[in-house]
Amino acid sequence: MKFKRSSLMYYFFSLIGGLLILFILLPLLHSILSQSPPILLKEATDRGVQEAIFNSVFLAAVTAMVAALLGVPLAYILARRNFFGKSLVESVVDIPLAVPHTVAGIALLFVFGRYGVVGGPVEKYLGLRFVATRLGVVAAMLFVSLPFMVNSAREGFESVDVRLEQVARTLGATPFEVFRRISFPLAMRGILTGWVLTWARAISEFGAVIILAYHPMTAPIKVWDTFTQLDLRHSSAVAVLLLSVCLVGFVSFRLLAYGGMRKGNGK
Amino acid sequence: MIEAKNLSIDLGEFKLVSVNLSIETGEIFVVLGPSGAGKTVLLETIAGFYSPDEGNIILGGELANDLPPERRNIGFMFQDYALFPHLTVEENILFGTRYKRIEGAEEKFKEIVDTLNIGNILHRLPRTLSGGEQQRVSLARALIVEPQLLLFDEPLSALDERVRESLRDELRTVLKRMNQTSLYVTHDQTEALVIADRIAVMHDGQIVQTGKPDEIFNAPVNEFVANFVGVETVLEGKVISHHDGIAVIDVGGVEVAVAADIPMGGTVLLGVRPESVVLGTVDKVRESSARNNFEAKVTKLTPLGAVVKVGLDCGFPLVALLTKQSIEELGLTEGRKVLASFKATAVHAIAK
Ligand SMILES: Nc1ncnc2c1ncn2[C@@H]1O[C@H](COP(=O)(O)OP(=O)(O)OP(=O)(O)O)[C@@H](O)[C@H]1O
Ligand SMILES: [Mg+2]
Repeated sequence: MKFKRSSLMYYFFSLIGGLLILFILLPLLHSILSQSPPILLKEATDRGVQEAIFNSVFLAAVTAMVAALLGVPLAYILARRNFFGKSLVESVVDIPLAVPHTVAGIALLFVFGRYGVVGGPVEKYLGLRFVATRLGVVAAMLFVSLPFMVNSAREGFESVDVRLEQVARTLGATPFEVFRRISFPLAMRGILTGWVLTWARAISEFGAVIILAYHPMTAPIKVWDTFTQLDLRHSSAVAVLLLSVCLVGFVSFRLLAYGGMRKGNGK
Repeated sequence: MIEAKNLSIDLGEFKLVSVNLSIETGEIFVVLGPSGAGKTVLLETIAGFYSPDEGNIILGGELANDLPPERRNIGFMFQDYALFPHLTVEENILFGTRYKRIEGAEEKFKEIVDTLNIGNILHRLPRTLSGGEQQRVSLARALIVEPQLLLFDEPLSALDERVRESLRDELRTVLKRMNQTSLYVTHDQTEALVIADRIAVMHDGQIVQTGKPDEIFNAPVNEFVANFVGVETVLEGKVISHHDGIAVIDVGGVEVAVAADIPMGGTVLLGVRPESVVLGTVDKVRESSARNNFEAKVTKLTPLGAVVKVGLDCGFPLVALLTKQSIEELGLTEGRKVLASFKATAVHAIAK
């Protein structure tokens, strides 16, 4: 009796889970399968489309790199220290998840625009501009994707036993050496996860990027642009091209990262 | 020499209260106490993970209160060994040699690996090792940097009984051979007895008694210590003769026969469980197979429910456990003379 009831529950839950998976896969599969090959080929060979896809993939990778450089130290502090105002800092880190991305784009434009508090001096003294540049794309991508980096890296550090760090200290390692040789390598999995999520989130960003930098075009903007200039069929071809590049990147990176990591990261 | 003077720390729910310890070079000092007594907190404070609210930690004559852990030259062995999971056994052992200049590090590495018999696992990762192997690797890693003090936090408690017994003898031998000053905490009385040169008993964040093992076991200062260490008699003596597997030990002028293989001249601790001591009246000398028969005076009778704890003086202190009926039949009262016997095989001997 008991067994039967619980197995019924599992069927029911699996059914719901299956619907969820379908909900994700159906639209994606449908866009892929409903393509007309000539249009797909035309868009695939289009210089503008190729550039847009390259911009997306490459600038998202740069963003993830910057996010790692800036996010890992903060993640380590959050994982290891208690300080006054810590929960405030944690909330701030999560804000980009809650802010509508067009709102984020407008806010960024005020600060990084040509007359903004950061954009102004940067242009004056460094000769760098954010509006309508790759730098701007990265800034917009970074804003919306940083939380993924910080939170995953933090989880990675939290999974490292504090006693390993303590033992390393008693063996003569300074805090930085402990970080370099113990905490960082052991948290690598969390950091890589953060890197992939950040990259994926950055590639998909539309709202913040379009406001700060319509040009140089990234793929999501190219999709929008093609839709307004041509029609739905052409823009969905661009969308499918971007989708396949992302999926290949995402899946191969996951395999590479976790396949390699499984070894050392025991327990 | 390593000293803790009036060490106090307040962690909110728990306090260390004015702990005083002084450990001689080469000495194995054991802190014995029940779970929650604050043993781990004490070690962590000495290692430098907590800073004390009051009191001083003095290492080799120098105040160490403000030194970070990496500059104290104090090693730490955790209960679960804390081996670095991403490094091989060899890399684990050599970890500290990068930071501390060790003279003849290579020979030292070989010597330690040989002593601990871990030459065949050097290229393995920690999670493929058995508990006993992990313990040796962790010990090797701590020993190679020649710490002026090595802290042990119940390093044997994660092992099963049989491995534990053999490792604890071995541990003492290795530490003594390397003249390694050690502070070892445990809640296991037998372990303390086997490993310690001196013992401090800890309770609720305080040290309640410090002394040599026989002092702690035979002359507990209060009821807590008495209950915690149990009523086993512990005697210290010297081996004066030895043949046919029977050693004769001189315990303060009285000879005790022990069925054990102990070399001549060495110091030994003898443990006699109170239930193996048999009492008889002096006037009726019985034929018995017990090799140890002593005339003794009853010093104290303590009723413990159905049984009575009998304190005896046979030239050395001895404790027996008898039923109420036996006490009545023998007509035992404090001050009476009795014959106390126990077999040579009932004595637990620990060479020191
Ligand atoms: N950082 C801390 N902050 C507050 N309380 C703590 C802290 N660390 C330990 N304690 C408390 O101090 C008390 C003593 O802990 P400790 O771990 O030193 O006991 P122990 O003697 O090592 O016990 P066991 O034999 O179980 O390991 C416990 O009640 C514990 O909860
Ligand atoms: Mg403990």
